[in-house]
Amino acid sequence: MSNGGGEGGSQRRELHGKRKLFRGNDFAYAVARMAVAQICEGVEINVYQESQAREGGRFSSFQESALETITDVAVQYIQSIGKTAQLYANVAGRVEGNSLDIVQALEDLGSGLGFAGISDTDRCLADSGVVKDIIRYAGEAEDMPFVYSLPRFPINKEKRQAPSFFEVGAEPPDEHIPVWLPAFPETKMCNRSEETNVGTTEGEVPSKENGSTLSIVQHSVDGGRLEILKSPKDVQMPPEGEGIVEGNPFLTAPLRLVEKEVSPVFRPLELSNEVVSINDVLDKHMSNNHHIPVLEASAPLDEINKKNRLADEDGEKKDGARNLVRFKLGTIKRPTCLAKNRSFQEQGWFQEGEDRREKSLEIEEKCKRIESRIVDSDVK
Amino acid sequence: MDYTPMILDDLVEHYLAKSGFQCPSYDCRLVYQQSVQMPWFKSVQMRFIICYYNFYGSALLIRLVAVATQKFVADVASDALQHCKARPTPVVKDKKQQKDKRLILTMEDLSKALREYGVNVKHPEYFADSPSTRMDPTTRDE
Repeated sequence: MSNGGGEGGSQRRELHGKRKLFRGNDFAYAVARMAVAQICEGVEINVYQESQAREGGRFSSFQESALETITDVAVQYIQSIGKTAQLYANVAGRVEGNSLDIVQALEDLGSGLGFAGISDTDRCLADSGVVKDIIRYAGEAEDMPFVYSLPRFPINKEKRQAPSFFEVGAEPPDEHIPVWLPAFPETKMCNRSEETNVGTTEGEVPSKENGSTLSIVQHSVDGGRLEILKSPKDVQMPPEGEGIVEGNPFLTAPLRLVEKEVSPVFRPLELSNEVVSINDVLDKHMSNNHHIPVLEASAPLDEINKKNRLADEDGEKKDGARNLVRFKLGTIKRPTCLAKNRSFQEQGWFQEGEDRREKSLEIEEKCKRIESRIVDSDVK
Repeated sequence: MDYTPMILDDLVEHYLAKSGFQCPSYDCRLVYQQSVQMPWFKSVQMRFIICYYNFYGSALLIRLVAVATQKFVADVASDALQHCKARPTPVVKDKKQQKDKRLILTMEDLSKALREYGVNVKHPEYFADSPSTRMDPTTRDE
């Protein structure tokens, strides 16, 4: 019976090596093999020859090939149950299988051997012969759990995605990277709460979304530049009081605006330098041509200026405010091109724009005067 | 749910998922994850219902498959055991007592037993295979 010597062993080892090359789930297979071996060991003959059964009616060892064969068969059995049940579920117009599909699959697989009541045409699936057989088996067989305890099986089942730039709270290093992409590994969890805090200290920054969606739109002001970060992912962020995902710092509720005192954010030097240089160029260009790009004379700017009326020093302050919007609307180079084109082609437009701007300036000056008068009267 | 099969639930779940069977538990987990993120779905009762459904919807079904598989394997093994017992014992003078003691699941018996279940396994005739003695420490004494 046991005819495998040293050569057989080496052969087997080679086979194992080859098999490991293309079998993807060795771990599952090994576990299945152990389980099958345990089941086969548990099988006992309780029949007629009492003398032999007394001496030991169990398998005490296996041929390797036999064990692997029966493991393969068992795995194929599970998989064919799954396939057939899925087939029946799909035939019934469902995507998920339910237990009746499984029973039907078991009947299909057991139809070769036959079971009680197979010939009835209108039998109920719930008390089919297969299920009764299984119940009987479960009652007879000894209740022996698997020998080893395993870790939760496919370990990476609930894998969490890497946090995006927005969730981390950092800004992407380059402009072409959108905020919703996963952050680079070296970016740290930074200034998320700081940004919101700065938003409050700056005063109510004008935005169409108010109140509850303050966490959605983040305003950060650094060095006179205002940025509005929006990302579609924020909408799914849970509002406050939603701390259910324990241990995940990125899914916890955002801090309330006043909860934490943080120092204001400072922009890294390179970025600010770059922006300043660009602004200088733009300013020169504009001062040469005495033109203002149309984009800058648009309505939201005026709104922002009205709200920022406190520190309004007509020209340069406005230019600064304008620059930020230019920054937000497109790439850096685009406004210059726009300005050039417009300067050659559409001078009339700019005249109008300038007129409008002057009008708005006048209005603001009037408002300012009125305010100062009011303040004066209050003081008096 | 009283009977715990020897084939682990996770194993069955893995192979079922591999075969394309869509277990309802997966979707329940998805819904559960969504319920964590969505504010309107956060009531505790809803979660309890989902957990309940998750447990009984999927675990029962997987247990059913596990017990069925275990029954199948046990049937095959008992058939093979009967074949092994019914075989006329070769006359070996020296190791009689050892022969009676040990029963080995061989490919011949297994292929005979599997043939009844519709699986045709051909055992290569001159393939030298050694019994694995890992499972039973009493056979180590050889």
